[in-house]
Amino acid sequence: MTEKKKHSIKDDFTLLALLIIPVAVAVNFVGGQLASLLKLPFYLDTIGTIFGAMLCGPWVGAVIGLVTNLVTGIANPVNFAFIPVNVACGLVTGYLSRRNMFSTWWRWLIAMILMAATSIITAAPIIVLVYGGVTGGGTSIVTATLMATGTNIWLSVMGSDGIFTVIDRIISFFISYFVIKVVPERTVIKFGCGENFIKKK
Amino acid sequence: MWIEKFQIKKTNRVAALYPTTKLWIVFFYSVCSLLLSTVNIMGIPLLIIPWFLVLPILATLSGVISQFLKAMKKAAIIAIFIFLVQTFIIPGGDLLFHFGILYIYSDGLHTGVSLSVSILNIAGAFVWLFQTTEMKELSRALEDKGMNYKASYILLSTMQMIDLMGRNSKIIMNAQRARGVETQGNLFVRAKAFFPSMVPLILSAIISSDDRALALSSKGFEIKCKKTHILNVEYSGNETLAMVICIIITSIVAIGRVLLWILP
Repeated sequence: MTEKKKHSIKDDFTLLALLIIPVAVAVNFVGGQLASLLKLPFYLDTIGTIFGAMLCGPWVGAVIGLVTNLVTGIANPVNFAFIPVNVACGLVTGYLSRRNMFSTWWRWLIAMILMAATSIITAAPIIVLVYGGVTGGGTSIVTATLMATGTNIWLSVMGSDGIFTVIDRIISFFISYFVIKVVPERTVIKFGCGENFIKKK
Repeated sequence: MWIEKFQIKKTNRVAALYPTTKLWIVFFYSVCSLLLSTVNIMGIPLLIIPWFLVLPILATLSGVISQFLKAMKKAAIIAIFIFLVQTFIIPGGDLLFHFGILYIYSDGLHTGVSLSVSILNIAGAFVWLFQTTEMKELSRALEDKGMNYKASYILLSTMQMIDLMGRNSKIIMNAQRARGVETQGNLFVRAKAFFPSMVPLILSAIISSDDRALALSSKGFEIKCKKTHILNVEYSGNETLAMVICIIITSIVAIGRVLLWILP
């Protein structure tokens, strides 16, 4: 492909992309459930957002993020406040995928650092300003301990949340990447960013 | 389990309000609670605590009080956690109370109360909405108000998909366990079990949605024309009354807040 393609938001939402949105939201949901079933210390609730954005581009990723938090918010209304985090995750992953940043290992590294940084930057203000530093999740105890020792609230949130977010993103990315690699090529090619994941012959 | 019901009839007057009216009620309620949280009595926003009692009353009137209390437990745990951390850990302002190693400062108590009760307030309003309204009704009503039919399809399909994939994930996990994947043990062993349960689940879902895209387009999903519906959501007749009550209460709260500002 030598000529540059122009993307319009409307073109992103093909029928297949529309059908991937519910699947991705369900994957987010089930991933989080499975992580807590296996008692893993991560949320792992953005796998769907990441693979959806990798396949269909940034805007579909953003919609997946939005719908995920709207739907999980019904059961646990705390999630409503975290809509921007999930939306930003979808947008950034989608743009990285469109720029073909998932092709070689050094590009993966840059992509993963960017993905983790986005999540930390968007999540920290919400945790600090809306919830005063603790959300009742697994990392809250670490944050609270750090705060009790007199550490600045921003530093304690970013420190305790940051480490877990980075590992979380690495696991989520590898799962999404493996899945896309094993999906038959005739299916992958139908997605907006699919051709980046197909071996050129 | 997802059970398909085609018509929804409600006898309760509050629960039978039109879904978008209920959405407005949630909005006005949240606005009021945010306004009230800026009013301080003795340095603490005390007014939002009695304001929270409105929600259980609303839930009782809609006949969903027991489910409401059950669903609020999760939000309550988080709120209590936030309250405790804020009250005992954040120093600042005057020292109000001192017992052993526990110190309570006025600033901490202030943010503790306002954050935790505001979270309970807004969370509770949404809990009430979704306990009296099914997703199906809400998306149908929004579609009537001009939302794209594709958007309402996504919302509905998501609810079904979560249910379906939740069941599939249990099946896959049992199957992988039968093949010898360890799901118990140290952190590394458990983390390793996550991959073989997740990858087949996502894989089968992607491939089946490829098939579903074919099925839907063969049934004319993308054709631009007037769509027919099985479910119809009707106005119960009390919507205007409910909206008037909401607006009156909200304006009383807003005027009261402004008067407190102007008067010394």
